[in-house]
Amino acid sequence: MARASVVTGLFALGVFTILAAGGIDVSFPAIGAVAMYSMTKLVLEVAPGMPVWVILLCGIGIGAVFGAVNGILVNSLRVPALIVTIGTQYFFRGLLLVFVGTVWLMEIPPQMVAFGTWSLLEVKAGNGVTVSLPMYFLAFPVAALLTWYLFNRTLMGRAIFATGGNADVAARLGYNLRKVHVFAFSFAGGLAGLAGIIQASANRMANPFDFAGTEIGVIAAVVLGGARITGGTGSVLGTVAGVLLVTVVNNVLVLVGIPSTWQRVVVGAFILIAAGFFVLRDRKQSI
Amino acid sequence: MSDRAADSVPFLSLSAVHKRFGGVHALRGVELTIEQGKAYHLLGENGCGKSTIIKVISGAHAPSSGEILLDGKRLDHLTPMQAMEAGIETVYQDLSLLPNLSVAENIALGEQLVAGQGRLLRRIARHRMDEIATRALRELGVAADRAFLSQAVSDLPLAMRQRVAIARAIAAEARLVIMDEPTTSLTRHEVAALIEAVEHLLSRNVAVLFVTHKLEESYRIGGEAIVMRDGLSVAQGPIENYTRAELAELMTGRAIEAVRYRKGAPQDAVLLEAQGIASGGGAFRNASFALRRGEILGITGLSDSGRNELAMALAGHVGISAGTLSIEGREIRINTPAAAIEAGIGYVPEDRLAEGLFLEKPIWANEVPLILDQLSGPGGLIDERRARARAREISASMKLNTADVTLPVGTLSGGNQQRVLIGRWLSIAPRVLILHGPTVGVDVGSKETIFHAIQEMAEQGIGVLIVSDDLPELLQNCDRILVMNSGRIVETLDAETASEDDIYRSMLATKSEAA
Repeated sequence: MARASVVTGLFALGVFTILAAGGIDVSFPAIGAVAMYSMTKLVLEVAPGMPVWVILLCGIGIGAVFGAVNGILVNSLRVPALIVTIGTQYFFRGLLLVFVGTVWLMEIPPQMVAFGTWSLLEVKAGNGVTVSLPMYFLAFPVAALLTWYLFNRTLMGRAIFATGGNADVAARLGYNLRKVHVFAFSFAGGLAGLAGIIQASANRMANPFDFAGTEIGVIAAVVLGGARITGGTGSVLGTVAGVLLVTVVNNVLVLVGIPSTWQRVVVGAFILIAAGFFVLRDRKQSI
Repeated sequence: MSDRAADSVPFLSLSAVHKRFGGVHALRGVELTIEQGKAYHLLGENGCGKSTIIKVISGAHAPSSGEILLDGKRLDHLTPMQAMEAGIETVYQDLSLLPNLSVAENIALGEQLVAGQGRLLRRIARHRMDEIATRALRELGVAADRAFLSQAVSDLPLAMRQRVAIARAIAAEARLVIMDEPTTSLTRHEVAALIEAVEHLLSRNVAVLFVTHKLEESYRIGGEAIVMRDGLSVAQGPIENYTRAELAELMTGRAIEAVRYRKGAPQDAVLLEAQGIASGGGAFRNASFALRRGEILGITGLSDSGRNELAMALAGHVGISAGTLSIEGREIRINTPAAAIEAGIGYVPEDRLAEGLFLEKPIWANEVPLILDQLSGPGGLIDERRARARAREISASMKLNTADVTLPVGTLSGGNQQRVLIGRWLSIAPRVLILHGPTVGVDVGSKETIFHAIQEMAEQGIGVLIVSDDLPELLQNCDRILVMNSGRIVETLDAETASEDDIYRSMLATKSEAA
């Protein structure tokens, strides 16, 4: 459960950043997979002694570079971000499969295994089973705090919102849209890269086909948290709440024995209810 | 004049400024001078280079040649950052507000941006922003508390948004505020509030440059008129030294008589008759009137008087909940735009960009959508050649300034766009045509051709309804004018004998008097 919420949460913070800037990103699963698989392979085959913090930083770096490519394309082509990232999603994943490899890595470097099992606290449950909360779980709250700071305390955060509100006006007022786009997409890419490394460390394997199909679920969690798909709205707190809600719903349904096929129905219903709620609230305000 | 003012160099002056876009020579030697604390009115027809000159002043375009003197310093061109630092602020027609950001952020973020030299990775000083915003709003007579400062701008009414935009200019310590058609979408009360805010700016020694088509308001504010025509500045001087006719002549290069265009008279047969109709939303009620064949009927009132809803109801855009409507004596029900078209009622909306035109589509595609059934061959495919030929006829009859029907409508001036729309409706030979604000954002020269087109329609026996708040336009064109107030038709005036004062009086009568 923790792992699921960390990875979804990191992705979601990235998606929120881009929604706030008036875009949408579906390439983050590919970016996460590229960072995860290529770093794992690099460490296994070339630099087995690389400490885990360097691996994490490199993962973030790779993600940020690929994100920047998205940002530059969105800014210079003036094409909707959805189209650009649909394209780059294929492109990034294709590059990974062609140039890096297609084989599942079932053995991952020991330092990553250690990172994946390094626990923050352990609780012995009544029935004798040890439940541990892994250290990497902290990545989500830390990233959420960082994103919150970015949005509420820096000019960049306001510039991202400004761009999402009305890009033409923001440009007219002197905001450099290129900087805003490249920053927002790199930031999201970096988060996706980090999520990739954590996924490999926690699962003890690296699968180049991993994360495929997760994008809609993540975007849904962000929208459940109150961010509008049309951009310029939402909050970090809402995003965190959306992620937790989706994770909790999924897990509670399993615990109470509802078949996993029903989970989708419930999550879908939640999204429709949330969407209806926001629309009705806005309508009331406008009268 | 004090010694200081006499000695001081003008804040900004342009001399011999040229601007070429590819083969188009948009500015052909513009001269203008702007001094601190004075109001200027940049007047001219669409396409005369007004917007280009604004872009040169605000730094968005570099002139091809010429000289700019800013505080006496010689410059080839201004960059947007230089213009901002020199205190040149532009309030565009859309106010350039960021709808999803708070009032305080809209007012004071610019200062933070300039302080950071455009660098974005920088902590913002929230307290300072709140202070700046509160101070700027206080100068405009708006008491701002924390709740107001943190409110999103999209939740504010239009007039308040405008003040926020002006407060932003104050916070940026503007020395010149450029306002691009600021009053186009405002009601009379809101215009009064805006003029008050402008007077406040002037008293702070800020220069204000209006770009406008509304001469009345320019006369009310006073100051200097700068008239442009075909990329040249043709006159600059105190506006009170020019009469309306002189200004119109300077703008168009030909004499425009401020006369009544209406020459014909309506026929006797009643075309459209409304008896006690009311809107579902309650915007108007118990409205009765008759429109005769070949008659031009004006409808006016404040923007909340129900006049807009009445126009939209007749076109099927707003539901009618009570009363009867009949056309040529036959009772009809209009609950959708399609039903209105079926009954022969055409509607040219006020906001032609959003509601009327397909901007990226070529002229021909904008002119033929109502006659597609006549243009489609067997199998329902549209014969494009025939469509273009029909469009060329329509363009010619509406006197469009281009014969090329493949140009996107978005590239035309406001006046020509309006003619495309009117031409579209005339293609189905409507019985009744409702024109909602037919000359909003249209320059003097084009207004004249639109008025002539309206008169011609009436000659052909079409009943024309003009819904507008431009009173001279109604007085010049209509047979009768209905005045609405608080959802009811309160008076019917004969346009030939009525005066603007008469209309104002019944428009502004208090609600209790009206009821």
